[in-house]
Amino acid sequence: MSVLSSAEFWAFVGVMAGIYTLFTLGLQIQFGLAGLLNFGQVAFMAVGAYTMAILVVKQGWSMWLAAPLGIAAAALAGLLVGLPALRLRGDYFAIVTIAFSEIVRWVATNEDRLTGGSQGTINLRGEGVAAQYNGQWERFQGWLGEQLGIGSKDVVMLLLVWSVALLLLWVAGRLARTPWGRVLRAIREDEDAAASVGKPVFRYRLQALSLGAAAAGLAGLFYAWQFGFFSPDDFQPLITFFGWMILILGGVGRVWAVPVGAVVFGFLFAATRFFDFPPFSYLDSADRAYVRLLLIGLLIIALVLLRPQGILGRRQEMVLE
Amino acid sequence: MFWQLLANGLVTGSVYAIAAIGVSLLYGLLRLVNFAHGDLMALGAFLSYLANAAFGWPMAAAALAGMAATAALAVVCDALLWRPLRRRRAGFMSLFLASIGLALVLRQAILLLWGPQPRSYDVDPFKVYALGDVRLSLAQTATIVVASAAIAAIAVFLARSATGRVMRAMADDRALAQLSGIDVNRVILLTWVLAGLTAGLAGTLAALVQGSFDPNFGFQLLLPVFAAVVLGGIGSAYGALAGGLALGLATELSTWEGFAGGVEPAYKPVVAFTVLIGGLLLRPQGLFGRARVV
Amino acid sequence: MTALLEASGVSKAFGGVRAVEDASLAVEEGSITALIGPNGAGKSTLFNCLSGFLRPDRGRITLAGRRIERLPPHAIVRAGLARTFQTARALTRMTVLDNVRLAAPGHPGEQLRNLLARRRAARRREAQVTEEARALLRLVRLEEHADALAGTLSGGQRKLLDLARILMASPRLILLDEPMAGVNPALREELLAHILHVRATRGITFLVIEHDLAFVMQTADRVFVMAEGRILTEGAPEQVRRDERVIDAYLGTHG
Repeated sequence: MSVLSSAEFWAFVGVMAGIYTLFTLGLQIQFGLAGLLNFGQVAFMAVGAYTMAILVVKQGWSMWLAAPLGIAAAALAGLLVGLPALRLRGDYFAIVTIAFSEIVRWVATNEDRLTGGSQGTINLRGEGVAAQYNGQWERFQGWLGEQLGIGSKDVVMLLLVWSVALLLLWVAGRLARTPWGRVLRAIREDEDAAASVGKPVFRYRLQALSLGAAAAGLAGLFYAWQFGFFSPDDFQPLITFFGWMILILGGVGRVWAVPVGAVVFGFLFAATRFFDFPPFSYLDSADRAYVRLLLIGLLIIALVLLRPQGILGRRQEMVLE
Repeated sequence: MFWQLLANGLVTGSVYAIAAIGVSLLYGLLRLVNFAHGDLMALGAFLSYLANAAFGWPMAAAALAGMAATAALAVVCDALLWRPLRRRRAGFMSLFLASIGLALVLRQAILLLWGPQPRSYDVDPFKVYALGDVRLSLAQTATIVVASAAIAAIAVFLARSATGRVMRAMADDRALAQLSGIDVNRVILLTWVLAGLTAGLAGTLAALVQGSFDPNFGFQLLLPVFAAVVLGGIGSAYGALAGGLALGLATELSTWEGFAGGVEPAYKPVVAFTVLIGGLLLRPQGLFGRARVV
Repeated sequence: MTALLEASGVSKAFGGVRAVEDASLAVEEGSITALIGPNGAGKSTLFNCLSGFLRPDRGRITLAGRRIERLPPHAIVRAGLARTFQTARALTRMTVLDNVRLAAPGHPGEQLRNLLARRRAARRREAQVTEEARALLRLVRLEEHADALAGTLSGGQRKLLDLARILMASPRLILLDEPMAGVNPALREELLAHILHVRATRGITFLVIEHDLAFVMQTADRVFVMAEGRILTEGAPEQVRRDERVIDAYLGTHG
């Protein structure tokens, strides 16, 4: 139980909540604002992380150049997916995004020379050489820790992630209230009505998809920085589903519901780790992991049955009137 | 080589097709994108495994038992989860989220009951049937035979029987069908039974053909099945059949050297998705779907 | 003088069904032109083709001399042709005021790139747009509902909102799809008055699908009759009303 009170552990949970906030903010822009069903968001996260790692390791770029390019690559990937796929109706679009997400994961797994293959970024320089992309970032983290008088690496990361997340949440909130946001909301509700007053529906959707993808790319960067290493298995569809759960748990349509959902979800997820009292203590650790996820599944079902709009959401979003 | 790949494609395609029919009818009828369906198929495979390896039943009987058990489970899930959600007039997002929750529950249940290690059915892996240059294992042959029979039976059921026609009508346009005084709840029940049977069968056959299977294979199977439903056109059960066969054939045939060297076998799943994307670009409403009306 | 809107040889088929077959019409600027015909005659399909929601299989459509049959709906609106739908398409989850403000053309605040660079211009236009929107709401007497969600409006009020919104888009030509459908007599008079007023003060041209033949007789300068996908005849209202083929077309499908 000592871990329960460990600052390090909860800082880690907080960092993951922050990363998921960025990831889910992208979903909020795409779905909450624009009504797009993107079930492939994790692919954009992967594009961001891999672009940065490849540029640093293979091209010798500075992290501070590679990072913005990772975000740009994610945004570009959003464009590339949107150009053909946004012409399809909503549910078809959703399946295509899953397809895209699996294609990205498959390419990452099989194109060893480009991505290091299934062994992950450690393999980016090929056999025998352990590749690292995180040197610059860790030095920066250490320096910042010194400046702020904080010893713990995780706490520094926590501050960084949440500073960025809060800033972007503020920007997104402002964006939603602009005339641009108004057009998106109109398109979301009735695209024909929006088209009938002269709005180029396709262009707006593409922008929302791309912006949301960029947010996921940024989440990918922080993920990469936090762990110092990643592989294609880190970007499974389950991540996207967790994002959607956080989106709905917090509430669809409200930008500031996203961090609420992420923190609550992070807390619940972490808390299940500490079930070492009977009857859970009778299970071995592998089985306990399964029980954890099973309980989370039941929790999700309970959420949908009892409070479908989540914590801050509007009921009409989730219920047919 | 080509004929071998064609045969393999028929095997894969027929498994996709069977699963796709269930998914398509459920989606058409309940507007439910059921992400738990993959794990339902996996559960079907494991229940057959229970009958086959644990109880020692012959494969055919075990498969039937697995199918029946899966159908029962599907009906239970409807009673416990989907019907209460329908009563609460849950919207699309709620249903989607609930299906993710259910998927987690089903998959973890399989892991708790059977553990993560791969399993295999108690069948002869060395028996091979040869037809010219084509070699098919016992599993593959059984799959083609059983799947073809099942597809034919389902197709006839949907086309000829009153219930089948009603199911198709409701999947295509529920509101309209409801107006003609059809007993909606009965149709829903029967649709779940059919979906459960097909999921159990598809899961068992897929596991049989794969040779060894683990609790996570359901989702991998689900994605091409969704692709098949979309490619065939949402709302069309026949479209789902066609889409499943098309994707299975495309996936296997893509590795043929005749197609400019052929695709790397490791990339086969990608082929299914590429075919889907390509198909939708050419015909956005799917093969048998209807174009959007303003 | 060429007409403001000209369609020639427009055809559109769905599967085997020829919804519109070789339809041609011309709408003179400043006129109120009516398109009538029994149900299923293809009028809405023709409207969809004119407004870009459907692409015709064959034919030409020009607006002020410019070919528009291959343009997407929003581009056609920009070119000056706007349309309403049979059921009022109010955006229920937005306020009444936002519904109208949405339709304003040329708003820098609606473009993502301007949100960083041209903020002042965007703010100025938004203020302009808000004022104009309120004026239009006053015109249709909905100004007290400005901040309410459009979902709270009655069906008739939504029709008025539709009108205010479409006027905001400053079109030269408005396609009205059955404006009098399901409208009570008092509102009918009001809508009629608005249409005539708008034509007189803003010089906007109207092409109207209507089943309400009284309205057509009262207001239309010219009438086109459609039946079974084709233009049966055209002419002044009185002329068309007495045409035997027109009577047959209506009676035929009402049997």
